[in-house]
Amino acid sequence: METYLHDKHVALGAKMVDFAGWSMPVQYTSIIEEHKNVRENIGLFDVSHMGEVFVVGKDSMEFLNKLVPQDISKLTDGKAVYCQLPNRNGGLIDDLIIYKLKEQTYLVICNASRVDEDINWMALNQRGYNVNLDNQSHNLSLIAVQGPKAIDLMHKLGYTQNQDSFTIIESKLLNIPMYISRTGYTGEDGFELLVINEYAEYLWDTLLEKGKEFNAMPIGLGARDTLRLEAALPLYGNDLDENTTPVEAGLSWSIPKDKFQDYNGKKVIEEQLENGGRKKLIGLKMLDKSIARHEYEVYFKGEKVGHVTSGGVSPMLNANIAMAYVKNSKEICTDCVVQVMIREKLHDAQVVKRPFVQKRNRVHKEK
Amino acid sequence: MSITEKILCTKSHEYLLEEGDTYSIGLTDYAVEQLGDIVFVELPEVGVEFKKGDTFATVESVKAASEIYMPISGKIVEVNNAVADSPESLNNDWENSWLVKIEKTGSDAEMADLLDYEDYKEEVDE
Repeated sequence: METYLHDKHVALGAKMVDFAGWSMPVQYTSIIEEHKNVRENIGLFDVSHMGEVFVVGKDSMEFLNKLVPQDISKLTDGKAVYCQLPNRNGGLIDDLIIYKLKEQTYLVICNASRVDEDINWMALNQRGYNVNLDNQSHNLSLIAVQGPKAIDLMHKLGYTQNQDSFTIIESKLLNIPMYISRTGYTGEDGFELLVINEYAEYLWDTLLEKGKEFNAMPIGLGARDTLRLEAALPLYGNDLDENTTPVEAGLSWSIPKDKFQDYNGKKVIEEQLENGGRKKLIGLKMLDKSIARHEYEVYFKGEKVGHVTSGGVSPMLNANIAMAYVKNSKEICTDCVVQVMIREKLHDAQVVKRPFVQKRNRVHKEK
Repeated sequence: MSITEKILCTKSHEYLLEEGDTYSIGLTDYAVEQLGDIVFVELPEVGVEFKKGDTFATVESVKAASEIYMPISGKIVEVNNAVADSPESLNNDWENSWLVKIEKTGSDAEMADLLDYEDYKEEVDE
């Protein structure tokens, strides 16, 4: 499959790769250069491969509340919340952003690789709820504008709203109707612009053109991955899967402890919130120049205790970092040293706090 | 004379360059271009012997780790520590960023499947 911006990427000289059945740009110039540009200036991402499902109807709040550990009843109009989609055992079918657009109308953003599974799961859970699932994934394009100067580019395009992090508004920019959300997957301030496909090329071209004075660059999936790793944001398929609960994935912070309504996997998740999971996610910083990668084994005191889920270089730290699942032992704690097996040799890595790189530009209301 | 007139290439994107009694081995420009930002290079010890096709080094880009294979059998006589210290030199100057020098230990027949640069370019451009 191709997004509506496919030809733009090719014309910009992007190296295209297959991702979840989509032909996507992995890099335009250099992953490291693109990464740094997002941290320092602006990056433009075509993330139109992601899924958009509108959940509409009288019971939409109760329905979503059945699906996720987060409390959708607490969402006010225009607010977004990071959610997980657990199965009945607490294992994750996907992770999501849910936006409340207005009363009885929600927008669910899914991972490209999981749209079908998510829709199937939602349909399976739909019985008894007066709710309509409207999968608009193939009609909509999503462009992320990320980085400390993203707000400047938005202002340049005529954006005048005063929007908090994790909110969405329905608005017009460049005379194009769109949803503007202040979210992203880079650990920077930024926006995600959701438009119908026909507007995607014009929006993309204008962002690139007007973004020149802020050093805006198109960014591929390669840097998207290194950016989200520095920010310790999980990637479905690497860090999350159906055998991993949100507690084990280090996402307990996102789960309210007082949610009254029952939801799929609640029994397991509540028990784990109390006592911990079978495994836990840790952050690692390699103590030599070696690079830990997905599925490499992790050792502690000579014993195999887990495996790396995501690993690579951190262009900002000038070090190599990773996230790993290890057995849930108090002994494996921040600052202690574990080993990663890389090509049949053990390499020391220190357990460090996540995120690896702190957000420098916290969003606050512009005066 | 440019290096491209003297090297022999493998289909797995290594080059072999004869230099008197020894041969140097490196990565082709196509390989370097495909890998993107190279961030880590692991080289073997001097004195180790490898057969043609053995993995003798690992080169890692931001995206992935790639094994590098011996174009012919040989014994390592020198490694390029400058490249191990500054892996990005492969991206900036592939022609001078050889990985190892070897003494050939196999027969000339091992060279039969190596391609000269022009034929190699045709192969990868397909």
